[in-house]
Amino acid sequence: MHLESASNIKNTHRGTLLVEDAEILSHESLPGQQHVLRLKSPGIARRAQAGQFAHISCGPELAMRRPLSIMRVDKNAGWIEFLYKVFGAGTKLLTQRSVGELISLIGPIGNPFSAHTEKPRTLLIGGGVGIPPMVFLVDSLKQQKINNYKPFVIMGSEVPFPFSPRPSQFIIPGMPDAAIGAMPLMEDWGIPSRLASRQGYPGCFEGYVTDLARCWLNALSRQQQNEVEIFACGPHPMLAAVAKMAVEYSLPCQVSLEEFMACAVGGCAGCVVEVKTSNGPAMKRVCVDGPVFDANTVFPEESR
Amino acid sequence: MASIGITAKIPFDRLQENQPMKTDIKDMPILASQFCGMQFDTPLVLLSGCVGFGEEYTRVQGFSNRDVGAVCLKGTTLQPRLGNPLHRLAETPMGMLNSIGLQNPGAEHVVNNILPALDFSETRFIANVSGSTIEEYVTVTRLFDDSPIDAIELNISCPNVKEGGMVFGNDPLMSARVVAACRAVTKKPIITKLSPNQTDIAENARLCLESGSDAFAVINTLMGMAIDTENRTPIIGANQGGLSGAAIKPIALLKVHQVYQVCRHHNIPIIGQGGIMNAEDAIEFMIAGAAAIGVGTALFYDPLVCTKINAGISDYLKQHNIVEISQLIGTLTIN
Repeated sequence: MHLESASNIKNTHRGTLLVEDAEILSHESLPGQQHVLRLKSPGIARRAQAGQFAHISCGPELAMRRPLSIMRVDKNAGWIEFLYKVFGAGTKLLTQRSVGELISLIGPIGNPFSAHTEKPRTLLIGGGVGIPPMVFLVDSLKQQKINNYKPFVIMGSEVPFPFSPRPSQFIIPGMPDAAIGAMPLMEDWGIPSRLASRQGYPGCFEGYVTDLARCWLNALSRQQQNEVEIFACGPHPMLAAVAKMAVEYSLPCQVSLEEFMACAVGGCAGCVVEVKTSNGPAMKRVCVDGPVFDANTVFPEESR
Repeated sequence: MASIGITAKIPFDRLQENQPMKTDIKDMPILASQFCGMQFDTPLVLLSGCVGFGEEYTRVQGFSNRDVGAVCLKGTTLQPRLGNPLHRLAETPMGMLNSIGLQNPGAEHVVNNILPALDFSETRFIANVSGSTIEEYVTVTRLFDDSPIDAIELNISCPNVKEGGMVFGNDPLMSARVVAACRAVTKKPIITKLSPNQTDIAENARLCLESGSDAFAVINTLMGMAIDTENRTPIIGANQGGLSGAAIKPIALLKVHQVYQVCRHHNIPIIGQGGIMNAEDAIEFMIAGAAAIGVGTALFYDPLVCTKINAGISDYLKQHNIVEISQLIGTLTIN
């Protein structure tokens, strides 16, 4: 019900978001009207965590910035990378910005994903423009070597994937025969991944990401299933299906949401989502109360 | 760290902190002013609904509530409100529609839990009071009267709730009744936020002024709609929303001019607001009669815009040999 009480956040949140004029280092155009944008943004790169986003100014013609999930960062080199798909006026304008130009960013914004060490079998599910935060999360998990996370990544797309799928070096129990394609970056990182689409792309499982996830889960022992935690980002219906699956298997699940956003710092309450709380329904801001939420709080229907 | 723009005069108490002065203070125009007896350190006011309950923008490094004269808190009703369904926002040419629906935790929660956490040494905090009955306005006003809040803004112009709000604001007699009823229960300054969605805003201002309003906020958002052509439905969940941003600036400017014609004779100040994006916009509003300048939608594009507007106003005053902003207000020469 409440906008976050100021008393809860004071002193800890001040000065946590940076405004940076970031130089475009590269801007690559991919099939399916997808683009990969790399920006010099040392402050945000240093602070960013997987699941967070930046609020990007696409052009002065637009009153509103656009929230984009951070896909990769290099803290040492000081760059951050986004994958976006042309959706409306803002992203269309963004495609016209070229290398060397400056783009204003606010970030890093929001609560990151929070993996639990007692659940080392992390299942990451990214659909479409929900892929970027999953890439960031894998990168973060693999760096926490001491926790021995064993991520498995499933990506879905109904337009060509923003990379050329490569046959996987990993044998994954339970995978259908056709599902051999993987994301090259994951392969290079030594992380198993599989791809799903209903478009019949070679090497990809033909169906939903949740179908493929069920194949993987069913091949695990009961004890192994107890070690699974799910992280998902993608279109709303996909997240609802993932939430439902998580309930079926009694697995913890975090989802990352998106909504039209104006301020992105918690000021306007424009980007809310209805969340189930112990005090009844509440409208939480996707920007600073999210974008990561427990799946059962935003999809209570699927939890029944 | 407070920052007020390098050319602005910094009040004495802040000089004692750690502000290095880059310029000779004797030559600097004074941005501080009195507004309804309140000390505004700069003429800028952060607008209700844009900055939550005053702490949200402090997340942004380089932003400080000290850069503004006052902060208007989120519209507050007696009972908590969940607000309107999604989507609550739609971008439009040079502006945006919003329909939040007064999502707030209720007046008692605000008074008991939020106000104690605010730092009143940084700026002045103004409550924004909304209601669906005159009694509700009065009860909420009374709660804020018994609080450290600096002033009370009566939101009789919220376009995004079915009951109350604009129903009061678009009827001058009803507006005046709300003001009179609230006037009776508080000695704190009352600022009445006027709706542009009415025939004669100046007549409304005149009646509210006679009923005891100490100041006006001109204007609230204009009603508008945006349609999703694929689904043939309004983009806004509540179908319509309030238009803000650069698109409404000329309308807001005219309304300020009109209300000023009433207020000037009574020494009643106006917070001019509606599409102010930069210092030049702010100066236009001051010339039209605004004693303070509301900033809302501009923050969404540039969270650090206040320091730039302060600096720009200061530069303008200096260039025109104006010592303090009061000498600029209402200096419009009509053709």
